[in-house]
Amino acid sequence: MDVIFILQNTLRTATPVILAALGCLMTNHVGMMNIGVDGMMLIGAFSAVMGSWVGGSWLMGLAFALGFGLLLGLLYGVFVIKLRSDEFIIGVALNIFAGGVTTFLLRAITGQSGTFHAPGGDVSTIPQLSAPFLDNVPVLGQLLNNHTLLVYVSWVLVILCWVLIYRTPFGFALRAAGEHPKSLRSVGKSPEGMQFIASLMCGMLAALAGAHLSLGYLSTFSENMTNSRGFIAVACVIFGRSNPPMVFLAALLFGFIDALGMQLQDYGISSALTSIFPYVGTVLMMILVVLRSRAKSRRKASA
Amino acid sequence: MKGRKLAEYLIALSVSVVLALVLGGVIMALSGHDPIEGYSLMIQGAFGKPRLVGDTFAKAGTLCLTGLATAVAAQAGIFNVGGEGQLYLGAMASAIVGAKLTGVSPIIGVPLCLLAAMLAGGLYAFVPGVLKVKLKVDEVVTTILLNSAAIYFCSYLANGPLKTMDRGVNAGTDKVDPAFMFDKLIRSSSLTQSIFLTAIIALFVWYLMRKTTAGFDMKLTGQNGRFARYSGIKSDRLAILSMVISGAICGLVGMFEIFGLHKRFITTVSQEFYYDGMLVAMIMRYNPIGIVMMSIFFAAMKIGGLTMESSAGIPSSLIIIIQSIIIFFMAAENGILQAFRSWRAKKKVALTLRKEG
Amino acid sequence: MSDQSIVSFRHVSMQFPGVLANDDVTLDINKGEVFALVGENGAGKSTLMNLLYGMNTPSAGEVYIKGGQVRHFSPGHAISQGVGMVHQHFMLVPSFTVAQNICLGCEPKKFGFLSDFDKMNRIASDLSEEYGLEVDPHARIQDLSVGLQQRVEILKTLHRGADILILDEPTAVLTPQETDELFSVIRRIVKEKQMTIIIITHKLYEVMAISDRVGVMRSGKLVSVCNTKDVNERILASMMVGREVLLDQLDKSDTHEMTEVAIHAENLCAVDNRGLPALRGVTFSVRKGEILGIAGVEGNGQSELVEAITGMRDITGGQVTIGGKSIAGMTPGQVRSLGVAHVPEDRLSTGVSSPADVTDNLIVGKHRQKDFSFLGVHMKRKPIRKWAKELFDKYDIRGAGVDVPAGSLSGGNMQKVVIAREFSFETPVLIISQPTRGVDIGAMESIHRLIMEKRNAGCAILLVSADLDELFRLSDRIMTIYEGKITGEFQPENITKSDISYYMTGAQKEAEA
Repeated sequence: MDVIFILQNTLRTATPVILAALGCLMTNHVGMMNIGVDGMMLIGAFSAVMGSWVGGSWLMGLAFALGFGLLLGLLYGVFVIKLRSDEFIIGVALNIFAGGVTTFLLRAITGQSGTFHAPGGDVSTIPQLSAPFLDNVPVLGQLLNNHTLLVYVSWVLVILCWVLIYRTPFGFALRAAGEHPKSLRSVGKSPEGMQFIASLMCGMLAALAGAHLSLGYLSTFSENMTNSRGFIAVACVIFGRSNPPMVFLAALLFGFIDALGMQLQDYGISSALTSIFPYVGTVLMMILVVLRSRAKSRRKASA
Repeated sequence: MKGRKLAEYLIALSVSVVLALVLGGVIMALSGHDPIEGYSLMIQGAFGKPRLVGDTFAKAGTLCLTGLATAVAAQAGIFNVGGEGQLYLGAMASAIVGAKLTGVSPIIGVPLCLLAAMLAGGLYAFVPGVLKVKLKVDEVVTTILLNSAAIYFCSYLANGPLKTMDRGVNAGTDKVDPAFMFDKLIRSSSLTQSIFLTAIIALFVWYLMRKTTAGFDMKLTGQNGRFARYSGIKSDRLAILSMVISGAICGLVGMFEIFGLHKRFITTVSQEFYYDGMLVAMIMRYNPIGIVMMSIFFAAMKIGGLTMESSAGIPSSLIIIIQSIIIFFMAAENGILQAFRSWRAKKKVALTLRKEG
Repeated sequence: MSDQSIVSFRHVSMQFPGVLANDDVTLDINKGEVFALVGENGAGKSTLMNLLYGMNTPSAGEVYIKGGQVRHFSPGHAISQGVGMVHQHFMLVPSFTVAQNICLGCEPKKFGFLSDFDKMNRIASDLSEEYGLEVDPHARIQDLSVGLQQRVEILKTLHRGADILILDEPTAVLTPQETDELFSVIRRIVKEKQMTIIIITHKLYEVMAISDRVGVMRSGKLVSVCNTKDVNERILASMMVGREVLLDQLDKSDTHEMTEVAIHAENLCAVDNRGLPALRGVTFSVRKGEILGIAGVEGNGQSELVEAITGMRDITGGQVTIGGKSIAGMTPGQVRSLGVAHVPEDRLSTGVSSPADVTDNLIVGKHRQKDFSFLGVHMKRKPIRKWAKELFDKYDIRGAGVDVPAGSLSGGNMQKVVIAREFSFETPVLIISQPTRGVDIGAMESIHRLIMEKRNAGCAILLVSADLDELFRLSDRIMTIYEGKITGEFQPENITKSDISYYMTGAQKEAEA
């Protein structure tokens, strides 16, 4: 079994989940569980491909994705924060809407359905990076080099998000808005404002996750290509208690299970069977969280 | 819902539907189609011929069952998003039993197939139900993830160990005994005898939710779980039961697809049927009678959308967009009404105070 | 408006949907005074102060702070004008430290964007030294006692430069010692820092102890403002309720011949929601025809006691028997089947289902009985409705009928729904918690009468209340509870309220030989 190959794939497959999870944990910190990230990812993936195709550059693709992500965050914010709609219903509606609108626009804009094939060759994809000095280092070189830009960006974002949430006044206001909104209001700041910002950040991060999926991981858009990865991201957020490094580890764990499954395909195990792994694995992860916290509180009680 | 509240709700619903249809028309116009032509094609496509009427009602049956499945769980406070997986497993289980029992009298065979579908769907819903009730694991996420797991699992079976030897079948199991198949009610439409079973199930669910002590207990559990427990209601057990019933209904939907249409399990047995039904249920606030009505409307849009696509080239996914817009409006209905009311109340107070002062 | 007034309200009204919470209030508050605002629950005291603090915008009228009219109502503006408010429910983030809470919203920064934790801690310790309010800047709020949390709240407002301090029911959750400490702090900051204090309360002896002037509110109106030295508690009380408060004597029949023990708890232990011990070996018994009152400062295990006895909470040690049967491992439903009815402390979260209509809330628990359902399956709507209507009338519940959601009823009437349902089970054992919290005097009177009738009919009643008057009025015996332990047992005739509060705060009664 090729361990390095598995680990490299772990990093690759975990990235969209990491990005989407970072978005989701932002809204989680302000007290909203956004299960609409999957739909936000899908629209992000679609707009990235369209942007890259129309603009002729992956940068345009990213810009498109971020722009639409912002819009989706705004939409989510208006409904959940301003109009006080049920966050689950809006999340579900967003996911269904995303499936419909991407399929519709693919047909309406390009006349294609299913998977997008750019007329006249491939769309411009996000470039891969590598540090030449690592090439000669045996394991690390293989592991860390030759990933798409957003893989590295996601790692940086994990650290940035952690600093933002736990080390800046903004982060304190963010968490206060989720944990005890009135306390924030009583010092003259608007919890709704923080919720809105979180919602916008979530939209952009989720769209970035989608862009990675369509312009980095693959190089095209196909219908429902997120494959419920957004929900895995939500599960990772729950598993990691909204703490970016912990969520990052949870996403890596998911990526590892996924990569392991892919590797097993080489041993003649059906891909349909190995595809089950990450989903069941994630459910098991969620059960584990609860059992762990129960054990902890029991220890506390007996102490 | 009674009186004034019901009236308010119906007005909000009609406004939402009309607005969503208008927005759909705008989208058609923007993508270079004539909205009036589009909608008239949709109506023709849904009711224009007996075959189409049959298809519409068959679809309505599916939506109604999946919607009621959502509603039963929701009544006890559980959001079952996992009906799609439960549907797949129900379809698979009934297909296996239906093929294995070839030659057995339909009087024994069909009920066993029904039972297999209900068991498979119910048990698969039991898992997230227990996790939610006993461990407080969020059911929305688990049920969605279990959907993917179930669909891949069925696809594995249909491509692997249970793959049929029949020619021309890409991914599917063996045929079920033709004698078990539901008869068509309208020639070449997909409306079959299963619609009668659908009606019975719908009646049962309505009765359960609205008229029985168990439904009453479920309602209180969903509204205020702590109050239900305090009142001596066995809320844990009821919540799980409601989830199992929900899953069993989804399993039956899968079985109806196979025994009405496909004759064997195929991997495309459902195209997100459950999500369509869930939308209907959410729009109708889990009201069983409302779900039945709205199913017909949504089914007409879905079936009519196919003609719209084939005749005018308007992608049928437009229907999904329109439907999700209705959801957005309905979810925001309270917020919009409240904003309106407080605006009006403020104005009124300002007025009276000005008069007094 | 006199020159010395630092805050003035001019014809201020506040309309909430369906409620006129403040009705044409005109009031001046002077610089450097302690002003007490008194009134019953729902009289509009907190609403008025929330307006001053900018949490709401008045529907009509004007508010002036330090001579300037407030045009834009927001806490941010109020803070900038030097107004600080310590809310009844603390505005503190539980997972943050003391220093982080004090500095929330105006954190010191380093490098322009990072929080400067060292400086925060220094600010907090400097402040606590300056005002003599000792508290550890590094401690997390969730680990602090309510008394300490209140200090943090006060420090938080002082850090924002408040010189007008509003205290909303500051003593409701404090022990008598903590109350004394708070009052001495108030006196000191008024004297040394020339602060203006507005204190909202309904405890009249506190008004007498701390305030210079007092304003009385009744159903949204400011009915009187006077110098504290010109009035006494009796006058204030009658102004608060609009009439002399004289509760009628209740008929207490002699039930001494009933000796059978109905509830017995032996060395009962339980943990709270965080898994920490809440009950540490509680032993008592209640016989038929007796009301045992439990007195204690909130959060000393009363809630857990009631929940443990009714099956709502796991028992971690000791045992409880009801009618001689142990309830170990039973669900609330099974405990009920032993003949227990329960009026819970929080009617909104536990006592009713607010979206369900009144009928549903009245019938639940009896809906499987033969009269109301066919074979325990099919609900018979007609007899259920008829029965609900009878209860509705019998218990004098006032509201738009039995078909409206329970959540639309007022607090007192919602409480009557709970009492009607629980009392109509006709059980030999009643567990009653905070029966009249947030209920008006009329409803309180009838609830007390109903409880006494149950006792006289031979019910064994455990009554938990934060209201000492209520306990003294109803109980045959009173036990005090402190930090999960019983600290004493008394006959109400033989002890005063102030002595009881002594035992509520940890003093242990010597075992009588």
